Amino acid sequence: MNYTPRYLGRGSWLSRRDPRLIVLTVVCFVFTAIQVWDLRLMLVLALISFIYYRSAGIPFRAVRRQWAFVLFFVSLLVLVNGVIAGGRVPRIPDDQLHVYLYLPLVGTPVSAESLMYALTQLIRFLAMAGVGFPLAFAMNPADFGATFARLGIPDRFAFAIDLTFRFIPSLAADLQTTIDAQRVRGMELDKGAGGIFGRMRRQGPILVPTVVNAIVGAEDTIDAMDLRAFGTGPRSWLRELRFDRMDRIVLVLLVLMLVSATIAGFTTSSARVWVPDAILPG
Amino acid sequence: MSSMSMPRSLWGVDSRVIVYAAIGAALYGILLTFQVPVPGTKDVSARPAFALVPFFGYAFGPVVGFFTGFVGNAVGDQISGWGLLTSWNWSIANGLVGLIAGLAPMYLASMIGGSLMNRAIAGAIAGTVGVVVGFLFVFTDMALSGYDMNTVISTEYIPVVIGNLVSTIILVPVLVYAWEPVKERMGR
Repeated sequence: MNYTPRYLGRGSWLSRRDPRLIVLTVVCFVFTAIQVWDLRLMLVLALISFIYYRSAGIPFRAVRRQWAFVLFFVSLLVLVNGVIAGGRVPRIPDDQLHVYLYLPLVGTPVSAESLMYALTQLIRFLAMAGVGFPLAFAMNPADFGATFARLGIPDRFAFAIDLTFRFIPSLAADLQTTIDAQRVRGMELDKGAGGIFGRMRRQGPILVPTVVNAIVGAEDTIDAMDLRAFGTGPRSWLRELRFDRMDRIVLVLLVLMLVSATIAGFTTSSARVWVPDAILPG
Repeated sequence: MSSMSMPRSLWGVDSRVIVYAAIGAALYGILLTFQVPVPGTKDVSARPAFALVPFFGYAFGPVVGFFTGFVGNAVGDQISGWGLLTSWNWSIANGLVGLIAGLAPMYLASMIGGSLMNRAIAGAIAGTVGVVVGFLFVFTDMALSGYDMNTVISTEYIPVVIGNLVSTIILVPVLVYAWEPVKERMGR
């Protein structure tokens, strides 16, 4: 199993951008999307998300399993929310709903408003995933430390984030070695009695040596950092980050999008579910 | 016998805290792929790796605990392809679990100063408090995703709390039992 983040968008237009832009895009997009409930505007956001996703050059074959999972998970959540919420739609009183039918057994009303609400929610999640995927696959994992440091995260925490990504390959190798060693000794993770508690307890022989070895092995890293006087002065980063003209243009557009959505939320009906007349029951 | 290793200050950030935090987060992110389905439920699975969040908080302090949960969950999302920040509120909820477990010296001082068994039990209690309180943060999904409160309770909060309590109650004491003698041998 490959535990390391995959850099699938290497060489794409997006991967050539300043990595701070990829992080800021997620932040701006998520905060824009959560303010919008009008499906027409949400479709515009979905289109922006799609164009952005395409610019990351992520081969679909390499991520289709992830997309299938997202689609299944998001659809399930939207469906369950629709049923459990009892057909209620935020900002629309129950007596103003245009009900088609009531679900058998649970009695949840299915209305034009609740269908549009669910559809908008589904598109919103998919649009957010479209912006999230490039962060996972089109950003060089070696850039995380410098990126977060330049975004204003304190140096020590940015360094810890950098260190986290650097530890992943070696710790993943240690984990595999531990699993192999336990299997050679006849351990079978998925078999045996005892139910959930027994199965959980059987993870101990994998978890405990991996964790304790990692902590003990960390002493070398701690000593190396202490001997180099870590934390006694401001830290410099090997990777210099600089916004170019295109980065600035994209950033301005993102901020404009966020500000527009916020203003529209107060002054228009963009934060209210849109229901086309054509789907209202006769 | 010494008590659990705590930094000189609960909130101090030195090289030891940074390295333990990074190791906790990396291990949590990697091990998140292991899941054990909870019998009798449809979507609930216990993640053995989750025990690392309260354990790292309890053993190394609230800063390490928060970082392990917050960054570890984000790394797990990153590895799975969901994106580092897409579910940032869930990462914060994970971080809060580690942070609350790391504050155990403030509410379980007498147990932490006791025998190894007491310290192991204190680890499980601190983790339980952390899970029950920390995951209340997922109710932000009501604002962020437009979910109804009942949806958050039945499809998010209760399943995640049950699954994570199973791993916390079983594996945190095991990890404390394993780590304590090693720590004493290392002179920490």
